[in-house]
Formats: sequence, structure tokens, C-alpha cells
Amino acid sequence: MFKDKIESFWSKNYKWIMCIPLTLLVISLVLIGIKTVQTGDFFNKDVSLRGGIAATIHTEKEVTDEEITSALKVPSTIKRLGDRTTGKQLGFIIEVSDLNEEQLKEILTKKLNIELTEKTYSREITTPKLSQAFFKQLMIAILFAFILMGISVFVTFRTFAPSIAVIAAALMDIIITLAIVNLIGLTVSVAGIVAFLLIIGYSVDTDILLTNYAIRKKEGKLFDRMYHSMKTGLTMTACAMTVMTIGLIFSNSSVIKEMFLIILIALGIDVLSTYLTNAGILWIYCKKKGIS
Amino acid sequence: MNKIIKLLKQPRVIILLLALIISFLSINHQFNQEGVTISGIETNSSSYESGLRTPSSDVSPTAKERILEINKVKVSSIEEFYNLTEEIPFNTTVRIKTSKREYVFLKDTTKTGISVTDAPKSNLRKGIDLQGGTRVLLKPLTEVNDQDLKDIIDTMENRLNVYGLADVTIKSSSDLEGNKFIVVEIAGTTREEIQSIISNQGKFEAKIGNKTVFQGGQKDITFVCRTDGTCSRILACQRSSEGYFCRFEFEISLSPQAAEGHAEITKKLAIVSGVSGQRSLNETIDFYLDNQQVDELNIDASLKGQKATRITISGSGSGATEKEAIDDTVKNRNRLQTLLITGSLPTKLEIVKIDTLSPSLGEKFVNNALLVGLLATLGVALVIFIRYRSLKITIPTMITVLCEIYIILGFAAIFKQNLDLVSIAAILAAVGTGVDDQIVITDEILFGGSSGLKQQIKKAFFVILAAYATTIAAMLPLLRAGAGLLTGFAVVTIVGVSIGVLITRPAFGVIVRTLMED
Repeated sequence: MFKDKIESFWSKNYKWIMCIPLTLLVISLVLIGIKTVQTGDFFNKDVSLRGGIAATIHTEKEVTDEEITSALKVPSTIKRLGDRTTGKQLGFIIEVSDLNEEQLKEILTKKLNIELTEKTYSREITTPKLSQAFFKQLMIAILFAFILMGISVFVTFRTFAPSIAVIAAALMDIIITLAIVNLIGLTVSVAGIVAFLLIIGYSVDTDILLTNYAIRKKEGKLFDRMYHSMKTGLTMTACAMTVMTIGLIFSNSSVIKEMFLIILIALGIDVLSTYLTNAGILWIYCKKKGIS
Repeated sequence: MNKIIKLLKQPRVIILLLALIISFLSINHQFNQEGVTISGIETNSSSYESGLRTPSSDVSPTAKERILEINKVKVSSIEEFYNLTEEIPFNTTVRIKTSKREYVFLKDTTKTGISVTDAPKSNLRKGIDLQGGTRVLLKPLTEVNDQDLKDIIDTMENRLNVYGLADVTIKSSSDLEGNKFIVVEIAGTTREEIQSIISNQGKFEAKIGNKTVFQGGQKDITFVCRTDGTCSRILACQRSSEGYFCRFEFEISLSPQAAEGHAEITKKLAIVSGVSGQRSLNETIDFYLDNQQVDELNIDASLKGQKATRITISGSGSGATEKEAIDDTVKNRNRLQTLLITGSLPTKLEIVKIDTLSPSLGEKFVNNALLVGLLATLGVALVIFIRYRSLKITIPTMITVLCEIYIILGFAAIFKQNLDLVSIAAILAAVGTGVDDQIVITDEILFGGSSGLKQQIKKAFFVILAAYATTIAAMLPLLRAGAGLLTGFAVVTIVGVSIGVLITRPAFGVIVRTLMED
């Protein structure tokens, strides 16, 4: 049977299997380190975290990214807005830090010949000072959240190794996700950092379930309990991933798309960190404690 | 049938139903609201005199006064309202029938001073990014205490009222580092000068030589002539090298103390004769706004040593065409009048963030969010059905998810919480992750072994509570981080998971258990 094959494979190989996510973690840390040395930031900040203008322009006029960038002449990020249900272009978002609003508006209207009205033009302007404060505080928030999460995990299980395993899995999820976000060149906004914060909460769900089945339940064999918990956990992850994918495909909001993409990546990574690494740590722990 | 009756007797199911009913009542869906909702009444306009008032932002949206008829003609859209009021000739009576009573006033200026919005369909409040509007985040440049903040907010509210701008919320907020901010949110489309109206300190001073005669605010100025054409006017415009140039003037009344000051200062001045033979004093009266001179006027010789209570204030505006110049002049005049009435802010403010979002964009977001929410719920249903192959589980899961979303919305309506894009993201995410707990419960019930159903659900709740605690922990710092702009998101998430743990999932447990019993 399929399950028996996995069991025999797992019992023989769990030591190196649990190292797969750990290897990914090390690679991610190296990548993030290189990025930090090269750019001074450990991820690509968007204008809400760097200061600048994010202008949303609704237009049916076809303008290519090249046309926009050559007209702007300063570094910029361009995001496309489209309606999936009709396949029509709705417009685009331009993010720049080195232009003021007057200059940007002039380029849009004069060089690109786009008509800007109250109905078609939205903009968010953040001063660099405020965005720096935002960034700093969101980092504090993540740290805080992480510590509080750690405390509640410890209080729940009151055992050292399994609790650390849960916390480590959450940390792995965040760091590997961040490295992937960097690799695909996503710029992260305030909403994106909030998504990272949500990851902390979502990541521990499956870990808590697994730990609960491994060390608190007594019925059946250890492997059977963990295997069963994995089936349940994967159902949970499948549900969450379905929602994120649907949001990613059908939403017309760049905020929702960004958040859901980050959470989707993290959910994928969470499968590895939970059922390869955390499971391995729990396996070793249970063998040592005589839990079977 | 028996099972349904049995379910309805369960306390947990009753609590869920109660929560749903409360949500339904507080959201107060309106399917065919008549008329348009009043969003603002300009202070001292003729409609204001008749008793109409700007609704307080505490009033729930559907309870706000609605205009049903103007001069016996039914009003059903914003456009209709403005067309009807424009058609009414000057100096004729306007009869406005609202959802509360009838108001009668004389139309004495081109505008009635009333602004309206579409009648809301429910009590859900949309954030600026969903309904369109402007959000300004201001930071005081000096240390301020809570009283200063309150004064700043009061003055700003006053200014916006005087300016005739409604649908505005002004709140103070602070962040994790203790920085204080003021968040101004103006719904709907706004005029450009609004930025300077709220953020300028607005320190107005009238000086003769280097002595201050009076300042803006109610201490020195008891009346500002605004709508009366006999004491407030735009003077003929002139061509200048860059286009056109116009002047405005309006009268104000000074308090007895300020008039005394005027007499004291002018007493010592000498009388001189001008080129055209006019006799005036040897110093001018200069007007300063935020330490910048905006205008200067000769003082008529007859005013020497007089306790002048009526003073003429003047200023100017310019533009490329005559129309632009007049518009600019009117704008400058209105701004100056507002600042004279409301006085200056206790401190200077700096705009640290300003967002203007188009209403058409917001509408698209709302409709799209509904679509995504529906598709997401169906997607989750499919996954649950594939895994458990049972409608007895799939249907209750769906119902729970939908109930949860509805109760979150009900909570937002009761506690006047604005729903913005990030909150919608939080609610959508809750569809995907809130279902986690239902899966855990189902799992315990189906495969939990021999320990009895009640025991199994208890065990499931251990896992749920642990996960709950971690999510709350993750959200707590967000209540304050980022100048309070993320508070809405944190509240919605905390409320969402709390409703799940306390109300919907206990009920879900009972429902599935009852359905599975045979």
C-alpha cells in the first residue's frame, strides 16, 4: 500500500529528508544576505515603504511598459490592471520615488497623451520619513508577533523540543518565502508585510495539529497518527491555497494580489517545513521519549 | 426534520442564530431607499438657517436624514438633486421634504449649501479606498499634548464646516513609537484647496508697522461677512503682464478690545495726502497669513484714533484667463474667510501622506471582492467535498464560512468600523484559513476514535484555541503600528477569528455531530 511504502521510506531516510527545508533555509539566508549587501535592503520595498508616489491610472489606451519607462526617465515600477472576467485592460499603476506629482502628471498627460480626470486618476503619496517609520514599526510588529506566538506555543505544549520545532517551522516559512519573493522580483508594500505577519498565524496551524497528534494522542501507531494529521493538514492547506489562487487570478486589486501571492508561496513552503522538518524533529523526539 | 428541531434547541446553534439576527439588524439592508442622503450643510447658508444640519459621523449611514422631495418634485439621484436646485430661480422659496420633516428657506445665492450622496444600501461603512475620496495624514511639527490635538481637530472640523465640506472624519492616532498623527478622511471628490485649508496653521495677523492690531479667530473677530453682497465682493479684474488679476474685499467686525487696539495704534500716526488727493495715514495696514504678507491697504484719515469695529479685509487672485483669475480670487477669499473665523492651529502641521482615490475604482473593487469571495467559498467547498465525499460535511462547512463573513460585517456595522481593501483581504483570507478549524473538528468527529463525540470536539478545540492564540498574538502589534492605518485590518482579523472560535465553530461542531448521528 501507498502508506506502507511511505512509512518504510520515511523510517529509513527521515534524517536527510528533514534536511531538505533546512538546506533551503540556508540558501535563502545566503540569497537574502547577498541582496542586503548589494542593495542595502533585504527585499524590494515599494513606494509605501520607501517614499514616493503610487499613481493608478484607468485607461483603455494601450501603452507599453517601455513607452512608460522611457517617458519617465527615472526608476519606476509598473503594474498592470486587468479584468480577468472580460480580459480587458483596465489601466496600470506607476510607482516612482524620484518625481513629484506635478512632474508625473505632466509626463502622463503631455508625453503619453493620457487624459487624467478625477474618475480615472488615483494617487497615494508617502513621504520618505513616514515610510521609514512604517517600515521600522512593521518590523517591530513582526518581531513582537513572533515572540508572542512563541510564548503561546510554549504555553500550549509545555515541552521544549516540539515547541521549538513549531517556532522554527514558522521562521523557515517566513525566510524562504522572502527569498522566493526576492527571486521573482516582487516589490513588497505595507500590505505585503502584513501578509508576512499573517503567515506566522497560518504557518503554526498545521504544526500545532501535527504536534498534537504526535505527542498528545495515544491511539494507534506514531506513524499512523502523524500520517493522518498530514492528510488533515494538507486538506487545510489545499483549502487555503485554493482561496489564494482564486484571489490571485480573479481579484482586480494589486493589494489583494500581492498579499495572496506571498501567502500562497508561504503555504507551499509550509508543507515542506511542517511535514519534512517538523515531522522529523517530532519523530526523533518521540523515539527518544518512548512515545510510539 | 426531527434533526432540524433538535438542532434549533441547541444553545450553540441558538447563539449563532442570534448573532446572525443581530448582524442582519445592524447592517440594516435597504433595497429601495428613496431620495438622497444629506452629507453636509454649509454653516450659515440659507438651508442651515432653516434648521438643516450636517449629520454627525456617529449616526449610522442608513439613519441619516434623506431628502425626498424639492418643491414637490421627487429626488432619486445626486444628479437630479443638483439639477433641481440649480433650476430654482433666485429669491424664491425652496421647500425640502426630508425623511424627518419639511424645511423652507429662500434661495439667496447660487448654491443652496447642501451636499448630498446616494442613499446608502446598508450600514456598512466603506473606507476611502472603496468609496473614493482623500485621506491626509498629518504630523504636528512640534511636541503636542492631548489637549493640543483636540484643539487642532476642533479647529479643523470648524474650518471644514465653515468651508461647507462634509462627510469628513478627523481622528488622532499614534504609533508604536508614540508619534502622534491626525488622520483626515474626506469622502467623495474634493476640491484641491482642501489640502491647504486643513494643513495650514492659518495664523492671520493684521499689522500696522510692526504692531499687531488683531488676529484671526473668535477672540478678535466677531463677524465675517461672507454671503451678503453688500459687504463682500469681487472687484473688477484687470489685465496684467501674465494674464488677469482680480481683487476681493469683505468686511469683518472686530471685538471691542481689538477695536481699542486699533484706536491706540492709529492715534500716533500722521496724516498724509496721496497722489490723487486722498488723505490717509502714513502707515498701511498689512495682512499676514502664516507670516507671509498677503495684502496691504491704506488707512483712511478719518479712522485715525477711532475704535474701528468694522474693517475691510482685502486680497487678490490671478490666472491666465479672466475666469481663472476670478476662480482663484474666490478660492483665496473663501480660504481667508474660513481662517479668520476659525483662528489658527496651535502648531504647524506637516502632510506626511496624502492619498486620493477615485470613486469608480472603489466601486470596481467592491463588486470584484464579492465575486472573489463567492468563487473562493465554492473552491473551498470543492476541496472539502473531494476530501470527505459527504454533503453532510461540505454544506455545514460552507454555511459556517458564510455565517462567519456575515457576522464580521455585522460587527463592523455595529462598531462603525470602516471596511477598506486590506480588511477585505483579511476577510477573504479568513475564508481560506477559517475553514482550517472546521476541518480539524470534522476530522476528530470522523476519525477521532472511540472516546465519544463530545470528547472528540473538546480535543479539536484544544488545537483550535492554540492556533487562535497565535493569530491574536500576531495581530496585536498591528493595532498601533503604521500610524493607525492598519488598525482596521487588525480589528477585522481579530474579530474574525474570535467570532469563529466563540460562535460559529462551536455551532458547526454541534451541527455536524447531529447530522452524523444515526
